[in-house]
Amino acid sequence: MRLHSLTAAALVTTMLVAGCDDSNKTIGEPVLPNKNPFPSTYQVPASSALLIQGANLLTGTNQQLDNTDLVVENGLITAIGKDLQIPEGATVIDASGKWLTPGLIDVHSHMGVYPAPETSNHSDGNEMTSPVTAEVWAEHSVWPGDPQFEKALAGGVTTVQILPGSGNLIGGRGVTLKNVPSITVQGMKFPDAPYSLKMACGENPKRVYGSRNQLPSTRMGNMAGYRNAWIEATAYKKSWDDYVTGVEAGEDLDPPTRNLRLETLMGVLDGEIRIHNHCYKVDEMAQMVDMSKEFGYKIAAFHHAVEAYKAAPILAEENICGVMWADWWGFKQEAFDMVRENIALVDYANACAIIHSDDPIQVQRLNQETAKAMSAGRRMGLDISRAKAIGWATLNPAISLGLDKQIGSLEIGKNADLVLWTADPLSVYSHAEKVWIDGALRFDREDSSVQPTRDFNLGIVNAQESRP
Amino acid sequence: MNKFNQLLLLVALSSHAAAESILIKNADIYTGKTVLPSTDLLIVDGRIAAIGNSSQKTDRVIDGSGKSISPGLFNADTHLGSVEVSAIAPTVDFYTDNPNVTASLKVADAFNPNSTLLPYNRTHGLTHALSVPEANTGLFAGQVSLIELGNQPRVIHDSVAVAMDFTEHGVSLAGNSRAAAMAVLRQNLADTIDFAANKRAAMAGERRDYSLSLADLEALEPVVSGAKPLIVSTHRASDISAMLALANDYGLTLIFRGATEGWMVADAIAAAKVPVIMDPIYNLPVSYESLGARLDNAKLLADAGVTLVFTGMGSSTHNAHLVRQSAGNAVANGLDKLAAIAAMTVTPAQLFNANVSGEIKLGAVADLVMWGGDPLEMTSEAELVIIDGDVVPMASRSLQLRDRYFKATP
Repeated sequence: MRLHSLTAAALVTTMLVAGCDDSNKTIGEPVLPNKNPFPSTYQVPASSALLIQGANLLTGTNQQLDNTDLVVENGLITAIGKDLQIPEGATVIDASGKWLTPGLIDVHSHMGVYPAPETSNHSDGNEMTSPVTAEVWAEHSVWPGDPQFEKALAGGVTTVQILPGSGNLIGGRGVTLKNVPSITVQGMKFPDAPYSLKMACGENPKRVYGSRNQLPSTRMGNMAGYRNAWIEATAYKKSWDDYVTGVEAGEDLDPPTRNLRLETLMGVLDGEIRIHNHCYKVDEMAQMVDMSKEFGYKIAAFHHAVEAYKAAPILAEENICGVMWADWWGFKQEAFDMVRENIALVDYANACAIIHSDDPIQVQRLNQETAKAMSAGRRMGLDISRAKAIGWATLNPAISLGLDKQIGSLEIGKNADLVLWTADPLSVYSHAEKVWIDGALRFDREDSSVQPTRDFNLGIVNAQESRP
Repeated sequence: MNKFNQLLLLVALSSHAAAESILIKNADIYTGKTVLPSTDLLIVDGRIAAIGNSSQKTDRVIDGSGKSISPGLFNADTHLGSVEVSAIAPTVDFYTDNPNVTASLKVADAFNPNSTLLPYNRTHGLTHALSVPEANTGLFAGQVSLIELGNQPRVIHDSVAVAMDFTEHGVSLAGNSRAAAMAVLRQNLADTIDFAANKRAAMAGERRDYSLSLADLEALEPVVSGAKPLIVSTHRASDISAMLALANDYGLTLIFRGATEGWMVADAIAAAKVPVIMDPIYNLPVSYESLGARLDNAKLLADAGVTLVFTGMGSSTHNAHLVRQSAGNAVANGLDKLAAIAAMTVTPAQLFNANVSGEIKLGAVADLVMWGGDPLEMTSEAELVIIDGDVVPMASRSLQLRDRYFKATP
């Protein structure tokens, strides 16, 4: 098993030196755990070149380009401008009067792990058997047949981060998926996307475990729980660092015994796994920031950050994204201090502002949620353009996922994840008409042959038809 | 009470009689039934004094160009007034653990006019709502109230209907089988009929044992007589049909709540003249009772002639004003725009006999919202809200929080 992680050259070395393919011992070359044992099998489908003519572009980079063309070749955006030439063999879309945006990105989704129907047989999003379950990976719970995915696609969502729930202090690894139909989760996995780790502040973990009379039952218990885990992870990381250093120095050493839980935490300390931290309240965000410095890791984003407007200077200073709803509030105390201007105010403070859904209904209309957040900011006098606002659902989420080199904006060289809207995307009347992922048409409102439907839907309402 | 306080009380009670006069010029007026493009609206003493060109001198003139006016929003499925923070049980009064209090649970008894949800929602254009109890020990949930979110929030009617739950949740409270739940329901209704016919003996404990408490039977008496509507939560097409048949057998006056698969039996609902309280936003098969969920359910029901009444965005109570967003989505999926506006204004106001007409019409008490643009667009803010004749201050806890933390950069 360990051999999967080795390069071919290392494999040869190992076999020559050790003379045995299952030996624990190596000289000069440490045997490291495979960091990608469930690799993506997603392939960019072959598709002809594409020219989208005359749309109004919201680029995701705070720019609006009216009546502009965009060219896609080999799955990438290759040209943006006026009156572009038709590439050879290109499909040409007349988009005059329509709007083009990057594919929307939802960094907080439980599709697949809490699928529809919401029945216990496949509600697999929260491993609430221990407060620290860094060893679980959301992808192992994802049901690719969840019919929620295609509804999000019809709403223009091309990339989703699927996270474990928030019942635990450290809930497990998240996974970033391309919103394409597949019979395996590997077929949806965004190739080479960084892994994330879900952590949760506040009421949920202390309620779940407090009700069982075990740690944590308080917020101080929460903090103790995280810190104990990071202390263990620090020691574990040292054991591996010592092993690697020793082997590279020529010592004959056994690798440390693998521990899945600590392996993920070590990935965070190594800067390879990104922290996405459910955290509503400003005081807790500040404590999480201090803790990240205590143990030497970076927080990518605070999710459900209802009090992000209070924390905006901290978010800007620490370069942490605030991931927010437009207006959800009041379902628990830590969500009581909602202001509709939250996203606008985080943005105003020059921090990274992101809109998210956490919900299979809201994910279908992130454009409307963005409209609400923009409108609230404008109401208080902030100058927020559509071009600015759409970044909350495109480029900023890509930044939080570590994927802003590939997705999140209409720029030359980026993946052609595109949404063509029938009208201003911030209008309630607007629909995603066509959705491309890597230049391949994945949804077309005008063509039922390009409207994916999961197996679950077949004949379930009516023997002759698919569920609408 | 001294003289001064009496005077204050009088002023408060009749506040809109002395209210400022307002002329809104050139706004698109959605009356609840039609639309009058770029029209003037005159409000005097809290009433609509003119629609159309007006040259009357007023305290205030508002340029309504590019803006719109609609009747005040009415959300027919909320818990307003009986919840503050959902996860904090002592603030939640819309259901009970007490099995002897089902139909007799009157949420109006718990109404909290000081709830922060009320100013928040009224600043966003919500003027009226139903406050609906939820079933927790049996099929019957309790009595539905009609509330107004004005400057002095109040209960207008403490019992406009009795709510009953025949969803999978309700069925789980009645033996975990639809068939068992039907048996329980028939027994409950038969007991109510017996109770009503033998009330004195029943109260004296001289009748047989009943399946519900005496208080619950008393609350159901006007339901079995057909005088008071029974709001039935249900989703599956076959359950809707079963309820229609039951209502026919017992002479009940039904209103459906939910009806996710209503489109599959739309003609039957229309023929029975049963209105439907629904959220047009649902399109996911969240349970096996809602496999047929689809975004054009509202359109298909309306096409069949069903009377629609809206709630919004997952029947959200804290954001009850978002009934407008769900209505917008219904329009985006085929429903006529005026029908969508009616379903959250004039239709519920008339169906539940509100204190306002739910319409913008000459002589009516002003209960309306001026929006920054199209009334269904999320980019249109409520700029002026008048509830039952009174202008509502744009003040809420949320706005205070915003202003405390906002630091404009110089």
